[in-house]
Amino acid sequence: MTSATPNSDLQRSEWERLAQAAANRDIDVQNVDELVQLLSFELDGAPYAVPVESVREIVRLRPITPVPGVPESVLGVISLRGEIIEVVDICRRLDLSPIELNRRTRIIVVNLDDGQAAAILVDAVRQVLRVEDDAIRPAGASDSGAIESLCAVEDRFVSIIDLNRVLAIHE
Amino acid sequence: MAARSSKTGGRKATSRKASQEFVSEAEEILERMRTDLADLDDQRSGGRDVDPELINSLFRAAHSLKALAGMFGLDAIQDLSHHLEDVLDGMRLGRVPMDSQVIGIIDEAVRIFASLLEAVSDPDALLAVSAPVEDLSARIAAIIKPPEAGNDVFGALEIDASLLRALTEYEEHRLSENISRGRHIALVDSSFEIISFEEGLGAISAAVREVGEVISTLPAPGDSPESQIRFSLLVGSELPMDRLIEQLNDPEVSVRCVLQGHTEPEAPVEAIPTEEPVRAPEPEHALESLRSIGETVRVDIRKLDELMNLVGELVIQRVSIGEIANRLVAQPETAKIGGELAKIHNALDRQLKGIQSSVLEVRMVPMRQVFEKVSRVVRTLRRELEKDVRLEVSGADTELDKLIVEDLIDPLMHIVRNAIDHAIEPLDERLAAGKPPQGAVRIDAFQRGNHVVIAVADDGRGIDTDRLRERAEQRGIISPETALNEKEILDLIFEPGLSTRDQITETSGRGVGMDIVRVNITSIGGVVDVESVPGRGTTISMTLPITLAIIQSLIVAVGRHRFAIPMNSVMETLLIDDGEIQHSEGRELLNLRGEALVLRRLATEFDLEPDEPTGKQFAVVIGMGEMRIGLLVDALEGQQDTVIKSIQGPIRSVRGIAGATELGAKDPVLVLDVSTLVADAVRRRDAA
Repeated sequence: MTSATPNSDLQRSEWERLAQAAANRDIDVQNVDELVQLLSFELDGAPYAVPVESVREIVRLRPITPVPGVPESVLGVISLRGEIIEVVDICRRLDLSPIELNRRTRIIVVNLDDGQAAAILVDAVRQVLRVEDDAIRPAGASDSGAIESLCAVEDRFVSIIDLNRVLAIHE
Repeated sequence: MAARSSKTGGRKATSRKASQEFVSEAEEILERMRTDLADLDDQRSGGRDVDPELINSLFRAAHSLKALAGMFGLDAIQDLSHHLEDVLDGMRLGRVPMDSQVIGIIDEAVRIFASLLEAVSDPDALLAVSAPVEDLSARIAAIIKPPEAGNDVFGALEIDASLLRALTEYEEHRLSENISRGRHIALVDSSFEIISFEEGLGAISAAVREVGEVISTLPAPGDSPESQIRFSLLVGSELPMDRLIEQLNDPEVSVRCVLQGHTEPEAPVEAIPTEEPVRAPEPEHALESLRSIGETVRVDIRKLDELMNLVGELVIQRVSIGEIANRLVAQPETAKIGGELAKIHNALDRQLKGIQSSVLEVRMVPMRQVFEKVSRVVRTLRRELEKDVRLEVSGADTELDKLIVEDLIDPLMHIVRNAIDHAIEPLDERLAAGKPPQGAVRIDAFQRGNHVVIAVADDGRGIDTDRLRERAEQRGIISPETALNEKEILDLIFEPGLSTRDQITETSGRGVGMDIVRVNITSIGGVVDVESVPGRGTTISMTLPITLAIIQSLIVAVGRHRFAIPMNSVMETLLIDDGEIQHSEGRELLNLRGEALVLRRLATEFDLEPDEPTGKQFAVVIGMGEMRIGLLVDALEGQQDTVIKSIQGPIRSVRGIAGATELGAKDPVLVLDVSTLVADAVRRRDAA
């Protein structure tokens, strides 16, 4: 049940765009091994990114069932082709202002290290970045401990989120 | 689990455990064969017609025995049952006469099987019985005649040749038997709605069987509407046609005589030139007769799980269709097409329920198998511990999901072992206490609602709660200040810290791994309860769900939130006025037929915003084991089929939530974890 069948036109166009972006870069750059692919998106007006290989699927906003007794940052659960997945507002986990849900809001379903899936809400999905290894530099101390590195794209810094850390929820 | 692999393995060396399993199953089969054979002999020597079902039953028994022996690699038994199968197949098809010689051979075969079973684990002894096996096999081969050539008795039948061609060899044999006994042969035709033809066909067949035999059931051609299907039943009966029509008593059913029997004055039989039935080549016949008679197949439980999951997905789609139909019906311009969709949806619902219950039924196994294992363990323990203990069981036919049974075996063994090892006193102690010298362990299995209860009771020394409490304090499980009632002290036996054998044996006689028992039972959605009377004995009961697959849930609402409560935990629902709610120390209570039922508001429990108070609310009485509480909700939204899924993500487990389920619409509905809610409520009540 994990096939990435696009279930809406918008989602399909997003996938196509991602695939296209990835393909273009392949032509531009010869040395594929040293490239890192990142999916970039917006949170609270600033660019963030996660490694593409941890992304399972991008879907439009859908009804979220709230779950009682969980931290505020867990907005609830969605069902995605038979799976029930928690949705986390990572803005709250990154100490940003809580996410506002609107037409551009997307749900990114990611795979965690322990084999579980989780879903994060983002303001808007931007593009797949392919950056060279050495363009990524340590972020230094981040308040939440969830930003491990930054990469510079056209003079703007994109924060790379450590998903396993940002989603580790300690009560 | 070893018990799982031993049956699924192919041909392999007969391990001790495997051979035990084989012997117990084979003995059952032999017992059935002896009974059938005795009945058969009675009927034959009494000059009555032999019931063809008896021969079928014997044939199936021989077939099962062959399959079983094959699985355990017992060649001698497999060979002999194969030959026996040949004889019985010949008898079914009328190729082997049913005389005393043949019955003698079957009888001898059963006796040889019995001696083979005794020798199963001893290769030398097996060798010693191989001579009679060969001898008997040779004699069997000699009496089996090749099938008779074409049978012209069918020539007199006023019946379409294509219909005759569709008969299997067995059915042909039954037809000629009926003809030679002078019975009337009739074709009973009827049309059925495709969606419900099984029931209709079943009813007619049952009516026919009361007065005769259904020789064959064949789909019939005919210009029936598309939603219908026609069937022809070829029937043999001693009743003349008018009486047969009377018996069936259904104007929709047409009955046509195709051959007058002898019980009526000879009627002129119209000679209808029918072609000689074209016979299929012999090997296909043999295959076909096996196919139609093979009664059981072994299926990997995982395949059933896959099937169940697929059905679960279908159920979700079905709910979506139902919702769309309702939306269409609600709009005047689409109401008509919506109604049609609703009709299809209802038919789909019925059929899905049918599939569901068939799949569930396939997964069910009787407790008998478990009891047999327990009884072997008890025999061994009795010998090892030199204790005189009797095992009594009841409810061996109670059925449970195969997977639950697998997970139940270990905890059950554990409880039984504890009872014999620790609870039943040594002989001198029992005599001093005025008890019978022989100890008793009793296992009762019975169904209660949607649960199966398995209770293990002993008549041993019981649990000394004072010393149990003392021990728990010493081990730091509870503090000396903790106020506990008797029941709660007893429940301490399930605490992990108390489970070491040497610590607890002399105090309570229990506690060896009882925490593991509880963990295992809880993991399959069950509950363990303990009751004990000092000096009289202890009863440990496990309340288990009958199945883990699709379950019925009650959907309740609090404000805009919806929750699903598994129906197997719902005792009843009540509509109550605010005025009926009584208060005591800040708790809310309801007088439920004289009992004080603790009420919990789901809104408070989960910190939800409820609807505006209306002065009325619903109380859903939920229970686990012996405990009951009433859960107050704003509304009930009916029952639904639900497949409980676990939640994925960083939190995963939320107290009071067992998982979530889809109900057609896209947003999932949380499923309440009744056992935690009840336990929490009861704990708080006691703490208050």
